[in-house]
Amino acid sequence: MRSQRILTIDWLGALLAFLLLAAIPLVFRSTYMLGVMTVALCYGMWAASWDFMSGLTGRENFGHSLFIGAGAYTAGFLNVNFGADPWWSLLAAPLVAVLFSLLMGFPTLRLRGPYFALAMLSASAVMQNLTIIFSAYTGGQDGLNGLFPMLDSVPAYYYLTLGFLAASAVLLRLLANSSWGVILRAIRGDEATCQAAGINVTFYKIASLMISAAVAGLGGALYAHYQLQVGPDLFAVILSINIIIMVYVGGIGSIYGPIGGAILLNALTESLRGLSEYRLWVYTVVLMIILFFLPQGLIAPLWRRVRSLFA
Amino acid sequence: MQIVIYGAVISSIYALLAVGFTLIFGVARILNLAHGSFYALGAYGVYTLTANARLPLWLAALVSVLLVGCLGVAIERVLVRPLRRSMLAVLLITLAVALMVEQVLLLTFGSEARNVPSMVDATYQLFGVDISGQRLLAFAGAVVVLAGLWGFLQFTRLGSAILAVSQDAEAAQYMGIPSDRMYSIVMGVSAAMAAVAGVLVAPFQSVIPSMGLLPLVKAFAIVVVGGLGSIAGSIVGALLLGFSETIIAFEVSIEWSQIVSVAAVLITLIVRPAGFFGKRAAF
Repeated sequence: MRSQRILTIDWLGALLAFLLLAAIPLVFRSTYMLGVMTVALCYGMWAASWDFMSGLTGRENFGHSLFIGAGAYTAGFLNVNFGADPWWSLLAAPLVAVLFSLLMGFPTLRLRGPYFALAMLSASAVMQNLTIIFSAYTGGQDGLNGLFPMLDSVPAYYYLTLGFLAASAVLLRLLANSSWGVILRAIRGDEATCQAAGINVTFYKIASLMISAAVAGLGGALYAHYQLQVGPDLFAVILSINIIIMVYVGGIGSIYGPIGGAILLNALTESLRGLSEYRLWVYTVVLMIILFFLPQGLIAPLWRRVRSLFA
Repeated sequence: MQIVIYGAVISSIYALLAVGFTLIFGVARILNLAHGSFYALGAYGVYTLTANARLPLWLAALVSVLLVGCLGVAIERVLVRPLRRSMLAVLLITLAVALMVEQVLLLTFGSEARNVPSMVDATYQLFGVDISGQRLLAFAGAVVVLAGLWGFLQFTRLGSAILAVSQDAEAAQYMGIPSDRMYSIVMGVSAAMAAVAGVLVAPFQSVIPSMGLLPLVKAFAIVVVGGLGSIAGSIVGALLLGFSETIIAFEVSIEWSQIVSVAAVLITLIVRPAGFFGKRAAF
């Protein structure tokens, strides 16, 4: 009974958050603000997808930018080199990202220990180098320029991104609440026991990584078609790290928390634009504070408290 | 011949980095993402001590290595120790340190490359190959430090204590070995070794704030190939990686040699996840 009620409150809260985000273009007319928010929503997709795989199973991915960059460059290639319609990116980018996840997942996720985290970190660093080596095709440091916009108006594109974010958040959250999510959390708790219970642990880990990669790749394509440009920075380790910090700020393992964390930190970055040189400092300090004083994060515990007022 | 000599130099530097990385993991189970920062700090330390404090080069190198070693100890005590329960928290805090170091370097020295003078200016001919004295010194220095570490671990009481902690921290504690202090010491030694590597390569590498990332990736690759926690494995891995990178750099192109490390990680994890010398299976 009580859990039913909590679930209802959760969905009501999500609906409220969605409506608030949907109201932003009505309140703020400035295209600049909307652009910032569109980027924040892309970060939300990346953070939520990181959380689905790594937050639930406890297998930290230190190279999420591998999937983001793969998705964004897929969009770039299709669009710039082959002149494909931008909408195709939305299909192709997740597929390519999933291919990358298979390539990385099979060797590393069978193992315990830090192999997965570090292999992902190395792979994204190397992909960043590769984009510079193959500058003939990737444009090197300048990246690929001149992607076509999907929609002409900024508010419309904002709504499109919001729609994809909401859809992936709902999907990931439903999966996380289902028996699938229970298994993922059990893997985090005790992998050996899961295996003894006859659960194909490797299958679940790789499949979750594929889902996570698909959402991240989709977010990468949306980002690329907003910026109309893709560059090697999309493979950067620092991007993966920023995403992890956002997840931590939001509250690991909750899916909705990381989205809030992404929006919060993007807003924070924006308000600190004057101190842009010290931006990374701010992030690092936030990370340290969270690690030492708020290991549960900020947004998810806050929401739990709000929820307990009603339930 | 060129390949053999240049490969040996690169391998020795890699070995220096990887052994430090594997040492702190093997003893304290700390996967130190700030390892590359110690390398960068070593290089910048020499730069700033020679260019700004006008110390003689050899003294600057020594001071820089010592300072980085102390920094390693401080980081272990203040930041890592309270979070040691969780492997992820340790990963993140060392990562935060790495970011912080890169930012500090960027803000104080700017993003342009700095030049550090060579310790040996002469160029030598070895088996018909021209090689700068600095590279030879880097090779010799790395070999001496590694040999020194081996002697320290094998023949001193402190070294035996460290090995005991690495085998079983709890049992070592019962025998009266303060394992917490061992962790600090090992962290300092490992940081100092990374700094030595940074100091030795600074004259022929571009000294930039982000120079720590690639060595970290390399050290990780070597350690996986050799077996996490195994010192002998790291040295073999460093030789393998150093030589294969040099061969590819000479035969194909410099850029392609970057891929060797990640390919090596993936192949090792597929074929033999424990690495060449890993005692424990990784799964």
